[in-house]
Amino acid sequence: MQLKQLANISAALAAASCAVLGQPAEAGTLLDDWQFNSAILLYNETDRVSAGEGILTARGDFGDDKYLNLGLVVDALTGASATGAVGQPYVQSFTRPSGRGSYDVAPGVTPLDDTFHDTRVQLDASWEQPLAPDWRVSGGGHLSKEYDYLSMGLNGSLARDFNQKNTTVSLALGYSHDTISPEGGIAAAFAPMLLRSNFADDNSYQAAFDATRDRADDTKDTLDVLLGLTQVINRDWLMQFNYSFSLADGYMTDPFKLVSVINANGEVQQNLFENRPDQRTKHSLYWQNKLHLRGSYLDASYRYMWDDWELTSHTADLKWRLPMSDSWYVEPQFRYYQQSAAEFYQPFMFETEPLPQFASADYRIGKMNTYTLGAKFGTKLAQGNELSFRIALYQQNPQNDGFTAPGVLADIDLYEKVTAVMAQISYSF
Amino acid sequence: MVDITVSAGKNCVVGQFRAMASPCEILLETQDVSLCRQLTQLAAAEAERIEQKYSRYRSNSVLSQLNHNAGSWQTLDPETLQLFAFADSCYQLSDGLFDISSGILRRIWQFDGSAKLATQSQIDALLPKLGWQQVTRDNNRILLPVGMELDLGGIAKEYAVDKVLQLLNQQFAETDVPSLVVNFGGDMRCSRPRLDGSLWRIGIENPTLADQAISAVGISNGALATSGDSRRFLLKDGVRYSHILNPKTGWPVSNAPRSVTVAAPNCLLAGMLATTALLHGTEAEDFLQAQKLQYWLVH
Repeated sequence: MQLKQLANISAALAAASCAVLGQPAEAGTLLDDWQFNSAILLYNETDRVSAGEGILTARGDFGDDKYLNLGLVVDALTGASATGAVGQPYVQSFTRPSGRGSYDVAPGVTPLDDTFHDTRVQLDASWEQPLAPDWRVSGGGHLSKEYDYLSMGLNGSLARDFNQKNTTVSLALGYSHDTISPEGGIAAAFAPMLLRSNFADDNSYQAAFDATRDRADDTKDTLDVLLGLTQVINRDWLMQFNYSFSLADGYMTDPFKLVSVINANGEVQQNLFENRPDQRTKHSLYWQNKLHLRGSYLDASYRYMWDDWELTSHTADLKWRLPMSDSWYVEPQFRYYQQSAAEFYQPFMFETEPLPQFASADYRIGKMNTYTLGAKFGTKLAQGNELSFRIALYQQNPQNDGFTAPGVLADIDLYEKVTAVMAQISYSF
Repeated sequence: MVDITVSAGKNCVVGQFRAMASPCEILLETQDVSLCRQLTQLAAAEAERIEQKYSRYRSNSVLSQLNHNAGSWQTLDPETLQLFAFADSCYQLSDGLFDISSGILRRIWQFDGSAKLATQSQIDALLPKLGWQQVTRDNNRILLPVGMELDLGGIAKEYAVDKVLQLLNQQFAETDVPSLVVNFGGDMRCSRPRLDGSLWRIGIENPTLADQAISAVGISNGALATSGDSRRFLLKDGVRYSHILNPKTGWPVSNAPRSVTVAAPNCLLAGMLATTALLHGTEAEDFLQAQKLQYWLVH
């Protein structure tokens, strides 16, 4: 029997037919379509942290639904952040986390470490392409470096379309390995913050300081899994559900945070470096709706997160893009966030009580609610380029989770509100 | 103006007219009769434009003028140049099977269901006037040897489907294109999947298919085109001779499927592949398999 191989001519003919129809050929295009997004973000907390961030992302269309995504983020932070220690009715002295130098905190004021400054550079790259009809895959990685922190990660995803692409089910996996190497090393759990003034000379202070440090750096490994379902409900309504799971193993203590140990009158006897569990399992459910309503676009989402630190949170986010004229739109945003305290959160410890296994006074894992109120103004420019401006107010309201402040602490604001303003300019081209 | 009618169906609105010797339809998912009427008018005008330009039955068409002036260099407009460039690709890629100069064989082959076969001497007399390789092209000019004729019958209707769809898509912002189908006598193309997630189910006009095996096909995106021998064949001594003629031998292709439907990103491509599959006769299915596209066959 004769076996004759008949040629596949459909690809060449597809290109020829596209030429007739005045369409771009569907195959064989190389690096011709790059879309860039750039943004500058300024973030300023009243009397605390200021940050500036530059973002540049690029998406290259390699034809046949193949894309290369590249990202570069550079940010610089400076200013003061809460140490976790409580304020006192008198001046307090603190040693900087590195062990070198000290600073004083005025009476009644929340102790802030004013040496907080860092520059971070992050690079991202990923490739996505179809795998088979209705299947898409992507794979990528990131590298992020700051002075005392290095994060490296890999990620991948698989998506399957059903129902004429009206339903998409996706699975994404991410793994990252982080290394922290704070200046002066990592403090042992609940190591005391030493003060130079309590020692006779530099050498005896340094020897005692070194004894509180048990390693130069530590690591954390994080595995993220996301299961997503996207459903087109009708031509004006898209809905998405995600379940995500995150398992972190390693050093999750903040090496710069303290917990104050107080006596029955609320007076600080000592400040200890905090200690958090070295495992954390987080789950979250996310529900998003994108709606097209008479020329405007509404994006409403809700997230519920819970973890084995017993921290649970609810996030509701609402954005509504309204056309103002042919070329301008305004997009008001309101976001509300509420979290319960982690089980080991405590604003202070009593000297009479035994040391717990874990403790942190970091308000960011305490009971808190926050809201963001903002607006974005955007315009389409020639050739599809887009320019937008966003301004937002971000209010953090830490709350008392049922702790009674004894003695002198009764008159101190232990849950100081933090107000921040964000401004962003974005340009897509 | 071409006569059009618009009616509301259960899952779509339909605008209808006749062009290119076929019933033509514009199906629109959005239940908007007046929008459908506007789109159908645009479609009918574009179909008429293409038919007027490329019909061999109209003596003032670009194509008829070209055939009339065979023997001298003729300057072509960009659209016609592109179509001939496509026809050239089809000829080269099909190894000479798809040849827009083969229509001349119809002079000796009349597929009227009778037993009247052409004679080999008739065929031998015609074969020298056939063959796209004899046509000379030079930038925007073409030289058709005296006695030859070109026929875009195998391309024009599919081309019209694609152009009409393009034209209708252009009436909307890129993200607002509704799901619509342009269907010219079974050659069709869809703008995008229906929002309700269902398939467009469209009957393919093919009256001789007793079993109606592929009387209706589903389409959600891209194009479908069908080639078949419909009523046109000859029957002699129990052998059925299809109207698909092999331009190399001048004889009908034997043992070809009765109908081939191909799904492809555009209608021009689908139509060309369906026709070329038939020209492969017994190897039609092997050819289709090699193309890695979806197809349906009726033997």
